[in-house]
Amino acid sequence: MNRKLLIVVRREFLQQVRTKGFWIATILIPAIGLAIVGIQVLLNRSLEAKGRVAVVDLTGRLYDALVAEHRSRGSDGEAKDAPSARRGEALEFVRVEATAEGLPEVRKRLNADVQAERLKAYLVLGPATLEKGTAEYRARSVKSDIIMREQVAGWLSRAATKERLRDKGVDPALYEAARVRADLDVREAKDVETGETGKNVGFNIAVSAILFFLIYGSLFAWGGAVMRGVIEEKNNRIVEVIVSSVRPTTLMLGKILGIGCAGLLQYAVWSTLALLVSAPGAMAMMGFVDAPRLPATTILAFVVFFILGYFLYASLYAAFAAPFNTEAEAQQFIMIPMSFLILSATTWFFAFNSPDGTLALVLSLVPFTAPLIMFMRITVQTPPAWQIALSLGLLLLTIWGVAWFAGRVYRVGILMYGKKPTLPEIFRWARQAD
Amino acid sequence: MNAIELRGVVKRFGKFTAVDRLDLAIPKGATFGLLGPNGAGKTTTLRMIMNITKPDEGAITVLGQPMGEALQERIGYLPEERGLYRKMKVVDQLLFFAAIKGVDRDTALKRLSPWIDSMDLRPWLQKKTEELSKGMQQKVQFLGTIVHDPEILIMDEPFAGLDPINVLLVKDFFAEFKRQGKTVVFSTHVLEQAERLCDRIGLLYRSKKLLDGTTREIKNSYRDRVPLPPPVEPEPELEKIFIKAVQESGLAAPTTEELR
Repeated sequence: MNRKLLIVVRREFLQQVRTKGFWIATILIPAIGLAIVGIQVLLNRSLEAKGRVAVVDLTGRLYDALVAEHRSRGSDGEAKDAPSARRGEALEFVRVEATAEGLPEVRKRLNADVQAERLKAYLVLGPATLEKGTAEYRARSVKSDIIMREQVAGWLSRAATKERLRDKGVDPALYEAARVRADLDVREAKDVETGETGKNVGFNIAVSAILFFLIYGSLFAWGGAVMRGVIEEKNNRIVEVIVSSVRPTTLMLGKILGIGCAGLLQYAVWSTLALLVSAPGAMAMMGFVDAPRLPATTILAFVVFFILGYFLYASLYAAFAAPFNTEAEAQQFIMIPMSFLILSATTWFFAFNSPDGTLALVLSLVPFTAPLIMFMRITVQTPPAWQIALSLGLLLLTIWGVAWFAGRVYRVGILMYGKKPTLPEIFRWARQAD
Repeated sequence: MNAIELRGVVKRFGKFTAVDRLDLAIPKGATFGLLGPNGAGKTTTLRMIMNITKPDEGAITVLGQPMGEALQERIGYLPEERGLYRKMKVVDQLLFFAAIKGVDRDTALKRLSPWIDSMDLRPWLQKKTEELSKGMQQKVQFLGTIVHDPEILIMDEPFAGLDPINVLLVKDFFAEFKRQGKTVVFSTHVLEQAERLCDRIGLLYRSKKLLDGTTREIKNSYRDRVPLPPPVEPEPELEKIFIKAVQESGLAAPTTEELR
């Protein structure tokens, strides 16, 4: 029994691992991940303010103040030490002389320059800018450069504030010295310090989301591989040859384990790559300065819930594949397990947003969504121990039940050719004796 | 001693009774033909003997023991619906069949070597199954059936879809098994085949056994009730003529592709 199981596991594992597709996916998926990060970095760069903006300053003093703010602050409004040369190439203000009377003429010329793309935009600063902060901004489109407009507005606010303070006899340097930026030190409300802070939340959210969708994708992909394997054996007509020496349940279990091992090998390759990429030097290169380590609980939960989820879904896929001769026939029944996976993915954000909410609680206990939703909850905010225990208990119980059902259906289904069975017939097989 | 014995075996699928109170005794060393039209219950009977499906009633003993998993390894079984893993190399496939029957790699290769040569399979061993012609695939299936040197050979419609060369091959298998004193059981709905190959037959019809015994006994008991055929002049068989014609033509031997 055990010897035969190992032989089947070995065959299934080698069949998966020897295909080009396996290695293409193993290499391609992290490559796509890296490409997405790279594109993100490039996109962030492209959001930086760029181009020439003309300034018509009717107040006579805001232009210098604006340029001074722009020079002393980075693109996010915080003081930066970055070389000014780079900032200079990014965005340039150009003063345009005009009087209130001559404005219409100047405006005509500037409009033409903007239309001809000699200028990115132009600003008209007047007494209202000093009084209420309003300023005119003209560009080719009202929809473009939203980020840059925000930045310009930020610099202009400071410039106008300082000029107004000067008018009231206050030294603008005092304003800089007095200004304080509030920073919330977010920690968990526990008597013993947990070391969890809000600082790494961004990183943790990203990691949680990536791991969540990694499990999701894996359950889809490897569940599908089990389905195709079952149908292939039936379609090839080899299955009866094999069940004349191997018990159907052993064959099914061997297939699930063998394909699962291929999935784990893929994870091992990815983990190795991730360790290489996340080496301190590499992280800094990608802009994650002193990135925090993954919490051990996240890694443990990831492994546990992937394995349990895989067993649950692989058994379901095997049960719903065995009665059919082609993938097309099986597809409509395969939609049943698939819809649970899709439900998990679509409710991910709601559960993520309020991990203590009723929706998150229910979905993390229902065995078919638990592998994904309970995992996600654990990464966001560790739920009460009884909830984790209950979720795992229900999940194990369901896996046992589904495996039993799958074994019964599989045993009958693999020997059935011809007419496509209905759902009631499939359930009848499960009740049928040997 | 009987190689296979069935006593009061019944198999139902829902309301349909596929095999109805079947008694059968197949002595060791016999070549037994299980005959009957499609749907008579032949495949279900063979599957029950192989322990693939279990009877609802009755008992099956094989080689003197109640049929169970351990006995499966002493039988070579070729189902009617037979196939191979398309993406697997031929040699890996044969070794997989050997492994699940508990035969190690070296023994399997040694045992199959003469067959591999006589079937011209050696150049194909490292190829994927899907690259083989249908006839070649059938040869691989036969080898998978005998790789563990079984004491009993059970084949369900073994001649269906075979080219003439492979029909001869199966007959050679049967002859070789008989020579070694082993038992051969096969089903067919083509009665002529059974007549030529079997020393014993059983006839199933609508889930029930109508006849069973040695071919000689059965023929004798129907001698008075069935008209005899007119005497025929012996003439060479087409199969043999085909092979002779090929040999005499001086042309290259036919490829399996051409024989499909």
